[in-house]
Amino acid sequence: MQPSAVPAEAAVARINGGVWRALRRNWSVMTGGSVLALLVLIALAAPWLGTVDPTLFDPASRDLLPGAIGEITTLEGETIAHRFLMGSDGFGRDVYSRVIYGTRVSLIVGVAVALVSLIFGVSCGLAAGYIRWLDGVLMRVMDGVMAIPGILIAIALVALWKASLFTVIVAIAIPDIPRVTRLVRSLVLSLREEPYVEAAVSLGTRTLHIMFGHILPNTMAPLIVQGTFTCAAAILVEAILSFLGVGLPTDVPTWGNIMAEGRVQFNDFPHNVFFPGAFLALTVLAINMLGDGLRDTLDPRMSKRI
Amino acid sequence: MSQPVLEVRNLTIALPPGADRARAVEGVSFCAAAHEIVCLVGESGSGKSVIAHAAMGLLPKTLKAVAGEILLQGENILGASDQRLRELRCTRMSMIFQEPMTALNPVMRCGEQIDEVLRMHTSLAPQARRAKVVDILKQVHLPEPGRMLASYPHQLSGGQRQRIMIAIALVLDPVLLIADEPTTALDVTTQAQILLLIKEIQRVHGTGVLFITHDFGVVAEIAHRVAVLRAGELVELNAAGDLLSNPQHEYTRMLIGSVPSITPRHRDAPADAPVVLRTRALTKTYAASGWLHRRAAVSAAADVSLEIRRGQTLGIVGESGSGKSTVARCITRLIDPSAGEILLGGVDIASMPAGKLRQLRRHIQIVFQDPYRSLNPRRRIGDSVIEGPMNYGLPRAEAMTRAKRLMELVRLDPNSLERYPHQFSGGQRQRICIARALAMEPDLLIADEAVSALDVSVQAQVLALLDEIRDRLNLAMLFITHDLRVAAQVCDHVAVMSRGRLVEYGPASAVFANPQHEYTRALFAAAPGRSWEFGSGNTLM
Repeated sequence: MQPSAVPAEAAVARINGGVWRALRRNWSVMTGGSVLALLVLIALAAPWLGTVDPTLFDPASRDLLPGAIGEITTLEGETIAHRFLMGSDGFGRDVYSRVIYGTRVSLIVGVAVALVSLIFGVSCGLAAGYIRWLDGVLMRVMDGVMAIPGILIAIALVALWKASLFTVIVAIAIPDIPRVTRLVRSLVLSLREEPYVEAAVSLGTRTLHIMFGHILPNTMAPLIVQGTFTCAAAILVEAILSFLGVGLPTDVPTWGNIMAEGRVQFNDFPHNVFFPGAFLALTVLAINMLGDGLRDTLDPRMSKRI
Repeated sequence: MSQPVLEVRNLTIALPPGADRARAVEGVSFCAAAHEIVCLVGESGSGKSVIAHAAMGLLPKTLKAVAGEILLQGENILGASDQRLRELRCTRMSMIFQEPMTALNPVMRCGEQIDEVLRMHTSLAPQARRAKVVDILKQVHLPEPGRMLASYPHQLSGGQRQRIMIAIALVLDPVLLIADEPTTALDVTTQAQILLLIKEIQRVHGTGVLFITHDFGVVAEIAHRVAVLRAGELVELNAAGDLLSNPQHEYTRMLIGSVPSITPRHRDAPADAPVVLRTRALTKTYAASGWLHRRAAVSAAADVSLEIRRGQTLGIVGESGSGKSTVARCITRLIDPSAGEILLGGVDIASMPAGKLRQLRRHIQIVFQDPYRSLNPRRRIGDSVIEGPMNYGLPRAEAMTRAKRLMELVRLDPNSLERYPHQFSGGQRQRICIARALAMEPDLLIADEAVSALDVSVQAQVLALLDEIRDRLNLAMLFITHDLRVAAQVCDHVAVMSRGRLVEYGPASAVFANPQHEYTRALFAAAPGRSWEFGSGNTLM
């Protein structure tokens, strides 16, 4: 029996190329990915998008409607004319600049929370799934963490430490760790029974290498998918925490803070809530679409298609 | 011959674009009459199941019949509406599947599942339905109909479940029964009973049967006529006796020649070769102890004493649940034995701690059954083959050289080490697994059902390869199998296991010629196609 005639290099390129091609063909991945890429670009290019410093205010320009031209005082005390594309808030700050800069906070929180919860969740999940005597202890601890409402942990942590980006990321990541742990553990429990893992055992491969070299790579697809959903949820939770006043300090422009401050004037000036809310919805939708598409392509077991 | 109940004319079914060939089935024509069993035989991917599903109107949407027709008593199935197909199923044609556990609804009692067919298709009163259900259970020889009706599928054995499936299929007395590998998932003794039952019921009811199988032994047992398929094309269609004794097409000859003979092959193995591995009273008990009460312990293997000598093959033969794989996994220490000794070159490894055991693992290597799960899908096969030697300190370059040499030994292109497992066929992957095991330069090679998942022609090649390797490298081999034909061809000694115990153990020629234990005799009597001498053109050496 001869191996089929495809040259080896071309064949390896095909499986890598195959995944990329499948991703590019996926409508949901492309739409979600493009919108997300646009948002990342906006976050990076915030200073050059006709914004001013988001903390600047001018009492003369309070409660302007979107598109109105007013004036704003820079830190050097200079007063300049400025077009308030999304209006201004009750302090005379430019909502447009604040929303654009808020994109940075949201994306950083989303990505950081996803990374932190994945790193800790994967470590715990691998350990619980592969090292049997650790399983009971670790999973009961995780059950304990899951029993505490996430918002409560966040409030407690912010009260304990001072409100900062780091605190918020930790506070949101902790309730997500048990979820990732459970996912990874269930994957490991089935993967450890695979004959190729047993073969590695009889080849004398060390336990750590089996866990990270054989089992972990095969959990990647569902983990990437889980990561995107964690990211979207974290952005939402950050906005909720800010809105409740237990998130980032009020002088930091985040979507939640802008909405919280705009809430009192909502009946008269809905733009203060509408614009950050629209950005929030768009971001979460884009990430969730990306996650759905990734799941369909990378994790066919979960997909409805063949 | 009477009027055919099923007539397939020039059937052509297209595969979706991107598949390995354009057509799943190409221009296939055959027919099955009442009172007739027609076997569709072919290797995996030959299109036999596609034809069966097409005849039931069960083709997935991605597969389209592009030409030809399937006539059930003259009515074209391919053009029938969904509603018409629903009316025809069970009343005029029925199907039974390979895995009765998944074909039956696990949350419905068996009685309700049979009754459902009657409720859907007839207007009988509950009393009459009940009588009919009990009657069909008697016909399929299920004991205690009352208990069977009230049981859920998981409470029955595999053979009983398949009988329930047959009861459901035949309760409305259809003219056509399609059986898609109905005995493949069953043990050989159960298989023999189910085959008998299908033959008997078919004779009584005059049903036409389309029987899909890959096993020529089963064909020899049951078929009146045989259609051989290769890659979607019909290569030969003939009466069973003629086809088996005088195959016309070269492919049929190759297939029949690949079926191992059940008569053991004589081989002069040195009787005084050194013992590589010996087990003494090896026992594995699963003690499920609860917190509040002790549950009964399950004995997977009890008091198993074996010895394997250099250059020889010991076969462990048994049905599912007999404990043969447990013994293999204890010997490799993938599971820890509960009692007894495993002596590897005089050292007991049965209870050796993991750290010390690691140095000895290289002496025992194992090849598993499922070629699709035995290789890490995310690793190049080269990395899989050199993993073991590198674990024991061999530099990468040297390990690669060894891997290339082994690839030649297992007849694969050494340059394909850069590829991923999914680019190989099942037989090729099994060769890679053998190469990976041999890279450790073991003394004992364990093949745990290593050829059971392979097509018969590929199986013959892999068996020949294993035989050759054992002789060239002077290995001791432990061969676990449920297939007596395979055991007859490769084993010097045979151990027969039943319910965790060795019931018979001796030289293969003696055990096959004159089985002593009653279980062994029953096992041999159940082997399908025993009356046919297969493997005359055997490729094994």
